[in-house]
Amino acid sequence: MTIVPMTVPDTLEGAVILSIVDFFLSIVIIYGISLILHLFPLLNKLGTISDERLKGGH
Amino acid sequence: MFEQFIGLLVALGQQTGLTSISIGNIIMIIVGGLLVYLALSKKYEPFLLLGIGFSCIVSNVPGSDLTAPGGLFYYAFRGVEMVIIPPLIFLGVGAMTDFGPMISRPSLMILGAAAHAGIFIAIVLAKMTGEFSIAEAGAIGIIGGADGPMAIFVTMKLAPHLLPQIAVAAYSYMALMPLIQPPVMKLLTTKEERSIVMKQVRPVSRLEKIVFPFAIAIIVNLLLPPVAPLITMLMLGNMLREVLLVERLANTAANDLMNIITIILTVAVGSTMAADRFLTYKTMLIIGLGLIAFLGGTASGVIGAKIMNLFLKEKINPLIGSAGIASVPIAARVAHVVALKENPYNFLIMHAMGPNLAGVFGTAISGGIMLALLIQ
Repeated sequence: MTIVPMTVPDTLEGAVILSIVDFFLSIVIIYGISLILHLFPLLNKLGTISDERLKGGH
Repeated sequence: MFEQFIGLLVALGQQTGLTSISIGNIIMIIVGGLLVYLALSKKYEPFLLLGIGFSCIVSNVPGSDLTAPGGLFYYAFRGVEMVIIPPLIFLGVGAMTDFGPMISRPSLMILGAAAHAGIFIAIVLAKMTGEFSIAEAGAIGIIGGADGPMAIFVTMKLAPHLLPQIAVAAYSYMALMPLIQPPVMKLLTTKEERSIVMKQVRPVSRLEKIVFPFAIAIIVNLLLPPVAPLITMLMLGNMLREVLLVERLANTAANDLMNIITIILTVAVGSTMAADRFLTYKTMLIIGLGLIAFLGGTASGVIGAKIMNLFLKEKINPLIGSAGIASVPIAARVAHVVALKENPYNFLIMHAMGPNLAGVFGTAISGGIMLALLIQ
């Protein structure tokens, strides 16, 4: 079975479909980004960067 | 001699705008005056409203041709129309913004998506009026993202002819958020809920703050190429800020450049409020739908936070949900002020900044999906 990419129909039904798909995907993508940010504290295990050293770097 | 004198006066009179001023011009001059009044007396976002209101007034004084090709404001608007200004605004916003509150509590990011239901309510309503195509409805809906540069960017791709109306609606409502949001927030929350004091968030290290712009630029640009110009500039500005090495560049982007671009942008937006183009049925519909989008977004954000509270041990103040609508930092400030009225020791601003910053990404993601689905 081949799935052909569809365009959103220029109707009220199209507007409803667009809204549902967009809202659902927005939540999924934002949730995905939040999952990645949950891992950010692990970066601190790599070491620390001192603000003073950065500021005096040039 | 007398006839020549009168003839000269008539000729001079024809050079002025006095002969061509219309009722519409007078109405729009009053509207511009109202925007200036709100900035001066109520202190509603004077950085936006003063420029918009002033240029609205002078653009409706006929004869000056400020907005005609070759006129002063024409070139300011060309910068908006050619999508040069919005990415530069995002560069400045990135350089001004500490994303720490969002990195420290990522679970609140979901509110940045929840507070965007207004976009979709407006899209469906716009289509129901029978006046707009699906692309136009999408551009109108993005007003509810409460993100001016993103609204301009999406509109230029989907319905460029609606740019003046959509830009004016987006920026005016953003400036009027202290007026629009509190009634909805109070309606949907109890006094006890508005008084909830939230726990201090963890400090975010420099390393996390430096990695953040790189990670987000890669993820968002990979998933949503249509909004890459805006997110790239936002994250470039933020990277300049967080590396601490190029303070001069970060300061220029956050202060001087941002100020210059704000002047150009507000003047450009206000100059599009010419009576002949603005006082139409379609414009009124767009302004009305934009307001519904803002109200809907505020409501869905608060409801989203209340739903989260059903599953959380440590309750969050549902007012921070309304900040998920974007419009950094206006919406976070509104949540903070409403909470302060219930408890003068409840400083909600840093907690509200998390969903507020997530709202920027929420709008970008919604806009990116819309562009990907509607432009094929």
